[in-house]
Amino acid sequence: MPHRTGPGVITFGDGLPGFEAFHQFVLVRSPSIDPFTLVKGIDPDAPSFLALDPLQVDEHYSAPLTAPDLARLGAEAGRPLLWLALLSASADPVTVNLRAPIVINPETMQGIQLLSAESAYPVDYPLRPV
Amino acid sequence: MLVITRKLDEAIVIGDSIEVRVLRVGRDGVRLGITAPARVPVYRREIYDQIRAANVSAAADATALDALVARLRAGGQPGEPGTGD
Repeated sequence: MPHRTGPGVITFGDGLPGFEAFHQFVLVRSPSIDPFTLVKGIDPDAPSFLALDPLQVDEHYSAPLTAPDLARLGAEAGRPLLWLALLSASADPVTVNLRAPIVINPETMQGIQLLSAESAYPVDYPLRPV
Repeated sequence: MLVITRKLDEAIVIGDSIEVRVLRVGRDGVRLGITAPARVPVYRREIYDQIRAANVSAAADATALDALVARLRAGGQPGEPGTGD
């Protein structure tokens, strides 16, 4: 697919599992969807996701990043990164994927989905009202 | 599918930068050592499949966002009126 970039475009070099063909996404925030963020693919056929800062779901949330994760983000340890957990709104109750969050480096605009071998968190954590 | 027989401490090379070596062969499993560039992600298949299923479930219809957010604010209960604001 054409490699489009522009202001605010985040590149997921490896795509997202299930949507490997789509690499470019933008984040949309607005008071009307607060506190959620829309992760929107810029290709017409690309998926969109509603997402939430995992710290808003679990104030103690923490997931380790490995050296390869940081390399894929073009990130140096200790620099701020943006974390988002994807919601499954079709589930009842709505669940949030704390197991595999999206991590974005705002300096390079590179993103990854974190697929750790081990995680204390489930893919389908029930979401309480936020 | 390419099928290759390897013995303990033997390896295969994929492309020019990825090596998969047999480190241990046990009754219940085979321990593999994978050497790959830092930018090449390596996943266990079952984890990848689990996250793929979760992503497919999470893909949302962006045109129905308002209703979705209202439902989430109401506590995620389908059919329950949203609180709006």
